[in-house]
Amino acid sequence: MGLLTNLKDSISRAASTLFSEEDPKRIGIYGPPNAGKTTLANRIARDWTGDAVGPESHVPHETRRARRKENVEIERDGKKVTIDIVDTPGVTTKVDYTEFLEHDMEKDDAVRRSREATEGVAEAMHWLREDVDGVIYVLDSATDPFTQVNTMLIGIIESQDLPVLILANKIDLEESSVQRIRNAYPQHETIPLSALEGDNMDEVYDKIAEYFG
Amino acid sequence: MPHQCTECGRGFDDGSKEMLSGCPNCGGNKFQYQPEGADISETPDAEPPEPPGPDSTVARTVGKTAASVRDFVSGSAADGDRPAEQSHLDADRAADSQPSDPSRTPDSPSTEPDRTSPTEDSAQASARGDVVEPDELPSDVPSASESEHQFRPVGADPDPPAEPDREDRPDLEELRAELNDQFESIKVLEPGQYELNLMELYDREEYIIALQEDGHYSIQVPETIRSE
Repeated sequence: MGLLTNLKDSISRAASTLFSEEDPKRIGIYGPPNAGKTTLANRIARDWTGDAVGPESHVPHETRRARRKENVEIERDGKKVTIDIVDTPGVTTKVDYTEFLEHDMEKDDAVRRSREATEGVAEAMHWLREDVDGVIYVLDSATDPFTQVNTMLIGIIESQDLPVLILANKIDLEESSVQRIRNAYPQHETIPLSALEGDNMDEVYDKIAEYFG
Repeated sequence: MPHQCTECGRGFDDGSKEMLSGCPNCGGNKFQYQPEGADISETPDAEPPEPPGPDSTVARTVGKTAASVRDFVSGSAADGDRPAEQSHLDADRAADSQPSDPSRTPDSPSTEPDRTSPTEDSAQASARGDVVEPDELPSDVPSASESEHQFRPVGADPDPPAEPDREDRPDLEELRAELNDQFESIKVLEPGQYELNLMELYDREEYIIALQEDGHYSIQVPETIRSE
């Protein structure tokens, strides 16, 4: 069953690559909560379309539904690359409402946010299975990247043969260490950036065009 | 004799009750319907028809197996009380011929003209109108005292099933534990606290789109299932 589904997925993916060259690739922005996924999605969307994707917050699980920004045209060296950006909820193995209580939230709201975040993770995992053509994996370079979630997600992405770009976000923070991420995932290219400050975005766009164009 | 036992060739009247519990002669339970006027041999070959062509070994094996099964079945059927049943049926038929039979169902007068019509014989009338006697039924059928465990017509149910007792219903904790066993992808520790099995969530073809606090999930049915 799983084998057949995978085969079907590969065929449909291959077919879509063959027959719909013009269709924009759907690029999922994945990563743990609070890595800066929405900040990056908004930065990309604002830079190329003028609109934002969704609200950013320092409270984890602000993004609880996958949000899509379609037809983002990125120009590189006179060439246009069109992608759909999917900003996904942060993927985690545990969601606990008590975490939100620290952010001045009422219990009812915290419980609801927790439930929605859980649904969001389920949705993000489902999208990864069927609905993305490539992944931008965002990590907070100020935290330890070698976690169960990161290893599992990158493993899944690799098993799907999806092109993946690892971004070491938050290089504006003092504790940031891009090398730590490079060491953790040496099989992938790691691009440093600060989505918040807009640092090194040019290289990010170069790589997006290279990987997903 | 519109029905004929395919094993021993015994003929039965149209609608005969005797066939319901197997052929009284050989216990066979396959009967061939022969329309009016068809030529039926009363004593056909006792052996099942051999497949044409002696070199058809598979068919011959099947034929042999059928014969031994038939022997086995008829051997065990001979132990039963078939002759008694037969005589009882004969008595029934005799009773049917009398117009003032008290055993007839009184609330089915519409069947009366049919019963006397020339196209219907006594066995047919008996099968349609009469109630099967308990001793005609197989012995393993539960007796009347056990009938409360059988299905009853909805309308005849004197006490419709009430809401199960409060204490019989699993409380939310148990329900949640049970669901956690079934759906390992999301474990609900308590409302607002969840553990997620990412691999399981990724592997599922359907996906959970909404959680409810009582442990229920709403899932989206995948296209592949919906289209079938």
